[in-house]
Amino acid sequence: MSNTKAIRSLQRKVSLRLSLAMAVFVVGVYLILRAVITPAFEELELEAAHADLVRADQAIQTDIENLEAVTLDWGPWDDIYEYVAGRNPGFRKSNLDRPTLTNLGLDMMAVYELGGRLKWGQLLHNGDELPLENLALLGDGDPAAHLLTEHASVDSRTVGIVNTALGPMIISSQPILRSDNSGPVAGALVMAQFLDEQRLARLQERTEVNMSWVLVENYVIDGERELSDISIGELPVRFSEDLVTNCIVQADILGSPYLLVSAKTPRTITSLGQRTVSAGVLFLATAGVLLVTVLWWFMKGTIIRPIQELTRHMDKIRKSGDLSDNLNFKSDDEIGLLADQYDRLNSEVHETRAALLHQSFKAGKADTAAEVLHNIRNAMTPMINGLDRIGKVFKVTDGLHVKEAVEQLSSTDCDPDKAGKYVQYLDASFDRVATVHAEALDDLRIVASQARQVEGILSDQEKFTNVAPVAENLVVDEVIEEAAMVIPRDAPTEVDIEVDDGLTAYRVRAHRVGLLQVLSNLMLNAYESIERAKSAEGRISLSAKNTVVDDTEMVQLTVSDNGTGFDEDVRNKIFQRGFTSKSDGDFTGLGLHWCANAVAGMGGRIFADSQGEGRGAEFHVLLPAAQGA
Amino acid sequence: MSTHHQDEHIRVLIADDDEYILQAYREAFSDTESTQEMRALDALAAELFESSHIADDEPHFDVVACSQGNDAIDLAKRAANDGQPFDVVILDVRMPPGIDGVEAGCQIRELDPDVEIVFVTGFSDMPLEELQRRVPPPLKLHYFNKPLSFSQLAQDVASFVREH
Repeated sequence: MSNTKAIRSLQRKVSLRLSLAMAVFVVGVYLILRAVITPAFEELELEAAHADLVRADQAIQTDIENLEAVTLDWGPWDDIYEYVAGRNPGFRKSNLDRPTLTNLGLDMMAVYELGGRLKWGQLLHNGDELPLENLALLGDGDPAAHLLTEHASVDSRTVGIVNTALGPMIISSQPILRSDNSGPVAGALVMAQFLDEQRLARLQERTEVNMSWVLVENYVIDGERELSDISIGELPVRFSEDLVTNCIVQADILGSPYLLVSAKTPRTITSLGQRTVSAGVLFLATAGVLLVTVLWWFMKGTIIRPIQELTRHMDKIRKSGDLSDNLNFKSDDEIGLLADQYDRLNSEVHETRAALLHQSFKAGKADTAAEVLHNIRNAMTPMINGLDRIGKVFKVTDGLHVKEAVEQLSSTDCDPDKAGKYVQYLDASFDRVATVHAEALDDLRIVASQARQVEGILSDQEKFTNVAPVAENLVVDEVIEEAAMVIPRDAPTEVDIEVDDGLTAYRVRAHRVGLLQVLSNLMLNAYESIERAKSAEGRISLSAKNTVVDDTEMVQLTVSDNGTGFDEDVRNKIFQRGFTSKSDGDFTGLGLHWCANAVAGMGGRIFADSQGEGRGAEFHVLLPAAQGA
Repeated sequence: MSTHHQDEHIRVLIADDDEYILQAYREAFSDTESTQEMRALDALAAELFESSHIADDEPHFDVVACSQGNDAIDLAKRAANDGQPFDVVILDVRMPPGIDGVEAGCQIRELDPDVEIVFVTGFSDMPLEELQRRVPPPLKLHYFNKPLSFSQLAQDVASFVREH
């Protein structure tokens, strides 16, 4: 997984979780408001709707009571009492006429004698005077008739709603008494008002309730009549999208369910409740978004961005390998402390790596040297012993008396008996010499074989140095910084190392370890040259520049010193195998030769310059520029 | 402590992983071959010339050679069991792939406190002081760097065996 993806993932995670938390919060608030606020508004709305029904019901009752009051005003009156008794015929003319009905707001008025006989009656319907029979009320056989036209006692009265052929009416019947309410009952006074559209309009205006009524027998719910279920009193509340409908069933004067009064209440309260909930949720959602935004901004500034910076920095270090690059994050919180600790850890790792590199460089050289020493010394041992033996066998010939034997044989006074033995001695001596020669030859073969083995070991080393390493793109200053570690920190000779600031801009294509060893060798050579020069102010400068060699873009690295330098003769030989300009004899002359081979192996070349002895030296390393640099 | 006379043979165990070197050891520690012709020549010289003499002051060695440290330990153990312990054990320090000469020397020293142990090496990572600490006592421990003359080594070995 790439670090970029990780950064995005962190951002996404935080955003997602904050958004999720906000969504859960808003939904939770909405549900709580729905569960708490909405029922309260619905309850309020029900109460209001019920109050509307009560007002509508009471309005009808009030009209009935008003009608009763008028009836009570007219019933106990001596003039009408005398009239119904047939003793005041002028009463009819002066009181019982249409204007009286109109003034009293009545639609019907009737006076009955005892026994229920009609004395006088008038009916107004839509402005027309109609016969009372049109009401189909109070006639023979009507069960309500005797309740209205006959009163047995002075306290008897009939008030309520009654069904007529022209529609429902509120009606009041009062016994006709003397003005002091004394009897006997002379007859019955009946007054009635239609429950028509005009009255409904007035009631609606008066109560400000959207009320209506309908005969129970005409009452339909959802297209079906529910007569069997209807009883006197309130019916279950019905709800529609916009209205709450409350109904009450009123009985007629016979006590049967007759008129259903409805009060329709607009659902403004629940609508207001819903708007309140919506406004509340919207407010909280807006507040939540603001809070999340602020929280996100805060987290981004204090946590996410520092972590992203830390991650990017780590990624940069992973790619570049430059552990000296510090984050330098300034913050006084725990993340600042973490970044600071990270920088310190990085620095420690950087120093440890440099020390390890230095040590491994030395150890690698030591290991190689040990192996080569062991092998060469092993190979040389038989050579020495072979030469030893050659010396020993030739020493045998030292003891031969060949010359003396020849002199004796050449002498004229040689004893003939001994002459034969001298000849025999000479013969045996020549055999001895031949044997010695043969043994010496064998030993020389061994010596030659071992010499070839030594050469083989050296060839192996040479092959090893020529192994083509894997090339990579390297930032020059990083390698130089590591190479500079080769100069001992507690060195007796103080050397100032000047590194050109522009080196970070140069990238070469080379083998890291190989280039490191080359630069280490050059810097060590420069240091030792300064040591030999006994210069009070030693200086090693490192610089680079771009150049083109044979149409190839190259980078030229230069290591210059103010050490002993060299003359033209040395310059021509300085990279030759076995050549050394050092006077102490410790140097084998392999270092610069190896450097030249290593640089050549990386597709580059190395050359040296000096103004002469005592005037310092410059070593130039040409390497191919990094691809894509 | 044993003492050797000149005519006694010195028992030497040699371990080195290089066959050329082992051969050189064998030749250096072996007696000079004296053929019939050589003896006849020496006899004639003695008869004909006054200055000729035959001297024999060379030390004599019984040499057993091997190429690994473990083999050297086994051979030393076997010789001790046979009642014929080695007078000198010469060990190369580096003898891959087995244990190194120092480890072999440690174990042989445990078997035989009197044996003279000689380390001969082309290169050792271990300083002499460390070797002396691991394979005591210092007087019975000897150290030589290759390349060296095995003839001279043979003389030296004979010398310190006779001294001790």
